[in-house]
Parts: sequence; structure tokens; C-alpha cells
Amino acid sequence: MDSYVYIITALLPLAASMLVFQTNPYHALVIRGVLGAISALVYAILGAADVALTEALVGTLLAITLYAVAVRSSLVLRLGVLKDDFLAIEQDADQDHTNHLKQKLANLRVLFEKYHLRVELVPYLDHADLHHALINKEVHVIYTQSDAKAGYTGDSFYLNTRLQRIHEILNADPSLTSVLVDINALNPKEVCL
Amino acid sequence: MINLLSYFCLGVGLVFWFWGTVSLLSSRSVLFKLHHLSVSDTLGSIAIIFGLLLRRPTEFPLLLLAILSLVLWNTMLGYVLAYCSSSDSNDGGQIDG
Amino acid sequence: MLNLVLMAMIVALLIPLYQAWRDEDIWQTMLALASVSAKSAVMILLVSILRDDWMIGIVGVIILSVGNAGFMLLAHILKRMGDS
Repeated sequence: MDSYVYIITALLPLAASMLVFQTNPYHALVIRGVLGAISALVYAILGAADVALTEALVGTLLAITLYAVAVRSSLVLRLGVLKDDFLAIEQDADQDHTNHLKQKLANLRVLFEKYHLRVELVPYLDHADLHHALINKEVHVIYTQSDAKAGYTGDSFYLNTRLQRIHEILNADPSLTSVLVDINALNPKEVCL
Repeated sequence: MINLLSYFCLGVGLVFWFWGTVSLLSSRSVLFKLHHLSVSDTLGSIAIIFGLLLRRPTEFPLLLLAILSLVLWNTMLGYVLAYCSSSDSNDGGQIDG
Repeated sequence: MLNLVLMAMIVALLIPLYQAWRDEDIWQTMLALASVSAKSAVMILLVSILRDDWMIGIVGVIILSVGNAGFMLLAHILKRMGDS
């Protein structure tokens, strides 16, 4: 055996450990591509041409595309918003209310960036719909905005979530107020509606 | 003589490879690196494959196909990467040379 | 002599690997991936010449001609992730 075979084979565990110790899922996808290229090289050099071809075509091409779709659709936090607010945010309206909302949304995006979650807005018609969507597990978080009542000076922007972990993450940030909604405690009939 | 020419081509290809990949380590913008990398990788790989072609003229169709696909796909991949990364960094801000 | 060339290629392959390990921007990692895949395909071609083995050479050419299509798909998916 020539010495270069050993050196090239040593690249395989190197790339594999790079993949294992990568925490960001999107970076891990790209590094999976690097691992696929290197393992195809190793297989080809060790004489297994068919294995190398399969690794390059299925392992790198197909698997990465499928993983990418899976990661993209699963690592997302769906936030239910009112349709009017959604349109206002889309059209970049310059009102006090919209600017406040956009500020909160930016905070939320920065907060969940750390956990590699995207924040996706889902529009709903009114508050009842919004609450219903939360109970039916269509969204993870909704917000409610109570009108500023007399005597109440705090923030009027609440986030309601049904997930304990998200509640903890939201409460760790002082700029956001979160309320945990226990959907299991609700009447089962109401859930079925 | 042919052997010497082949080694010369391989050497030129390696120099191109190193020149392009070392610029990957610098802290310039993505587009700058992409430009250097695509130019040097494509030219270096073509030089290396041409050097191999001089050594084994019997594998001429295979290596010619390699050169062709390298030119086509690397250019296209470079374009796609530039398009995707530049439209991504529009909201992010900094594009400096 | 070709062995030495192959060693130099391995060293050249280590640089984009290091770049991919040092994660800053996802696009820089993507560049490293494109670089690694092109380099490894050319290395497979070199080894096929070194050993006078047609089969390996064909694998190298197929990786070179088909492999890049997957990276374009991946780049587009990553772009969609960026602007949503």
C-alpha cells in the first residue's frame, strides 16, 4: 500500500467528526456534503468504484436535498398574527402600532436565532380564530394585545404559547411577556371544535 | 519531453489551486472569494487534467468529458452561488470589495 | 513523482476543510463545499491515471458532471431560508 492511501483515509474521520460536532443544522447539511465528497474519494481510492458512485449520487445529492427540505420545514416557530397586522407588516406601514409589532418581531427573531429556529407568520382573521389555532396546534405562539387599561402601565403585548420550553425561552428575555396556555386542561370538546 | 510538459501542467494546476484556496482564508467578502475560487479552481483543474491527458492519450474521451463538464458546471455553480448569496446579504448590509 | 503531486493535492484539500470547520457565514461553508467536491473529483482522476484504472476514472468524471447539480439545489434552498 502506498502512503497516500493512509493519509486520504485519515481525512474521513476528520470530516465525520466535523459533522458530528457541528451544532447549526444548516452548516451541518453543508458539511454533510463535504463528508460525501471525501468519502467518495476514499471509496474510489480503496478500489470500490461502485460504492463511490452510489455515495456521490445518493448519499450526497439525494440525501442532502431531502435533509434540507426536512430541516427547513421542521425548524420553524409558527407565530399566529391577525390578518390586518400581517398586511401592515408586509406593506411596511409606518404606524405606531405596526412599528411596535415589528420591534417585537425583530426581538423574537433574534431570540430564536440562537436556537436555529425561523419565525414564520401565519395570518388569522380575528382573535377567536387565533386562539382556536393555538388550541388546535396549528401554531406554536400567538400574541394578544390588550388595550391599555387605566392603571395598567406595563407592556400590553402578550405572547401566548402552549409549549413549556418555548415559554421558558420567551420568559428568559425581559423584553417579551409570555403566558403559558395549558391546552390539556381545556375541555376536550372545545379542542375538537 | 511529453513527461516534462505534463509535470509542468500539473505544477501550474497546483499553483492555481493553492492561490485560489488561500484567498478563501482571508476575511474578504463572499463574492471576492467566490471569484478567486471559481477562477483558480476551474483553471487549475483544467491544467491538471490536461497534464494527465498528456500522460495517457488513450483515455482521451474520458478526460475531455471531465474538462467539458468542469468548465460548464463550475461556471454555472459559481453564478448560482453568487446570485443566491448576494440576494441573501441585501438585507444584511455589507458588500465590500 | 505523481505521488508527490497527490500529497500536495491533499494539503490543498485541507484548506477548504479548515474553512468549513471555522463556521462564520453559511455561504463561506458552501464555497468550501464546492471547492472540496471539485478537488476530490480531480484527485480521483489523478489516482485513476496513477493506477491505470478506468473504472475509478469513470467515477471521477461522473462525480464531476453530476455532483454539482445537487449543490445548486442546496444553494437555492439555503437562499429561501435566508429571505423568509
